[in-house]
Amino acid sequence: MSDALVSPAVAASAGAASLVLLGTAVRKLRRRERDARIVPLMGVTGAFVFAAQLINFTIPATGSSGHLVGGVLLAALLGPWAALVTLAAVLTLQCLLFADGGVLALGCNLLNLAVLSTLVAYPSVYRPLAGADPSPGRITAASLAAGIVALELGALAVVAETELSGITALPTGRFLLLMAPIHLVIGIGEGLGTAAVLCFVRRCRPELLQRPRSGGPDRPVGRRRRLRLPALFAGAALLLAGSWSWIASTHPDGLEWSIERITGSSELAAPADTPHLAATTLQQQTALLPDYGTSFAGIVGTMLLLLLLFGIARILLPLHRKP
Amino acid sequence: MRRRLAHAVCRLEALERQQERPTRLQRLDGRAKLLVTAGYTALLLAIPLTHLSEVLLFALYPIVTARAAAIPYRRIVRQSLVVVPFVAGIALFNLFEQPEPLFRVGGVCVSVGWVTCCSILLRGLLSLQALLLLIHTTGFRQLCQTLRRCGVPEVLATQLHFVYRYLGLLLQEGITLSLAREARSCGRRSYPLRTWGPLVGQLLLRTFDRAGRIGDAMAARGFTGCMPELPGSRTRWQRAETLYVAGWGVLLLGLRFLSPERIF
Repeated sequence: MSDALVSPAVAASAGAASLVLLGTAVRKLRRRERDARIVPLMGVTGAFVFAAQLINFTIPATGSSGHLVGGVLLAALLGPWAALVTLAAVLTLQCLLFADGGVLALGCNLLNLAVLSTLVAYPSVYRPLAGADPSPGRITAASLAAGIVALELGALAVVAETELSGITALPTGRFLLLMAPIHLVIGIGEGLGTAAVLCFVRRCRPELLQRPRSGGPDRPVGRRRRLRLPALFAGAALLLAGSWSWIASTHPDGLEWSIERITGSSELAAPADTPHLAATTLQQQTALLPDYGTSFAGIVGTMLLLLLLFGIARILLPLHRKP
Repeated sequence: MRRRLAHAVCRLEALERQQERPTRLQRLDGRAKLLVTAGYTALLLAIPLTHLSEVLLFALYPIVTARAAAIPYRRIVRQSLVVVPFVAGIALFNLFEQPEPLFRVGGVCVSVGWVTCCSILLRGLLSLQALLLLIHTTGFRQLCQTLRRCGVPEVLATQLHFVYRYLGLLLQEGITLSLAREARSCGRRSYPLRTWGPLVGQLLLRTFDRAGRIGDAMAARGFTGCMPELPGSRTRWQRAETLYVAGWGVLLLGLRFLSPERIF
């Protein structure tokens, strides 16, 4: 996704969500730092995904070619949280070195490509379908299903982000109808590619596929209970901000009611002199969410508030570092 | 296939070569350049789609920066063209969805769709040019260091470092595999899945073996998960950085809030 397709408000929201998830991933990975070899393993695997993305394969019966995104493959090899950090590094590098995406759209790209494949498609589709000791058939079915789910969700997210940004004039339904079939084909390609590599790895080095389950690298320990409450709280706040703004009262409040009784309108017209006009223009130009729906504004507002609170907490409460 | 891999290797080498001839702009602290790039992109994207003249004014930043960094602007424009197909794929729909007339040039009526379509394309090109100039004038290693100093977690910054460090090696490995396959394929260029799977799987297994050796070697040298900074590579925020940020800040805000319609 390019910078040109997102507004600053949508980019900031997606960036904040990606940062929160990346922060969680980093916290979980710190548990593994005793095994320092995981860091080079993730780095070199990230470089592998980068190189593998440049090697296209022919998609059967379509005549076109595709390449890996690598989210499900990385999650199967490293575990979902390590895969998220690795894929984040790959996407950042692609953005910076090969001009793929943009600085502001990076948060959106992390959500669409990394988060949805490693934290949604892998745990909810691939892992249950593949099981503990998967056969090649189960690997293929699980990879195909996870690839399709990841890419379709990614397409849905691109549509949502572009529409919320107010960039395209295409109606949401038609935009979705355009994106979904294309990403279905790409998802099938991604699934087949992932299956081909994983089946080869299972045949040659089956122990690599058992890595995330054996050592429990991504199993949260220690602070899990402490993190659960803030996460639940943040989730509930976002849900409330998004859903309650739909049913927020459309009736005027007390002051507006009084003004309406006097002037016939709930809003006072600003005088047309220069300072008022300049102030109104400045407000319109600097408003973060000038024309967005109440629901989206609620979610963005909550995210900004959570970020602000997090920043204040970080400043006021010093971190207890281990010696 | 091999050409794509070789092209990626060339891009990496060109980026490294760029750092061998530092200009004053390249010697500035990475944080200043990152701040200006992020601010520029945010201001550019905040311009309403119909204000095409304001978007055009924002071309000033990449042109001036390319000149200051002694990089031909033509090269930056050529590299930024990669964004066109995807952005145009979405922007072109505005032509059909917004047929309302906006203004007339002579006898030709220009619709809202044409203006917004051009505006989206220009925004895509300019934001990408700013990003390309950031990486050309800062270099990847310094940018990683900058990100770390801006508070990016150590694990992520180290990951970026590692992926960049081993990218060249794995691209070379990919070229070798691709060459070996081409030599045995009697002129066939496509990669069916039954060939592609073992080829990329082989690359993956070699990657894991290499990662194991690297991990052991680094552990033997005392690596604990953090990449140390090279001596002398740390830049400081000085008056030049403050002037750079303030100068571009005033100019870009001026361009954003004093639109040409109001001036002329």
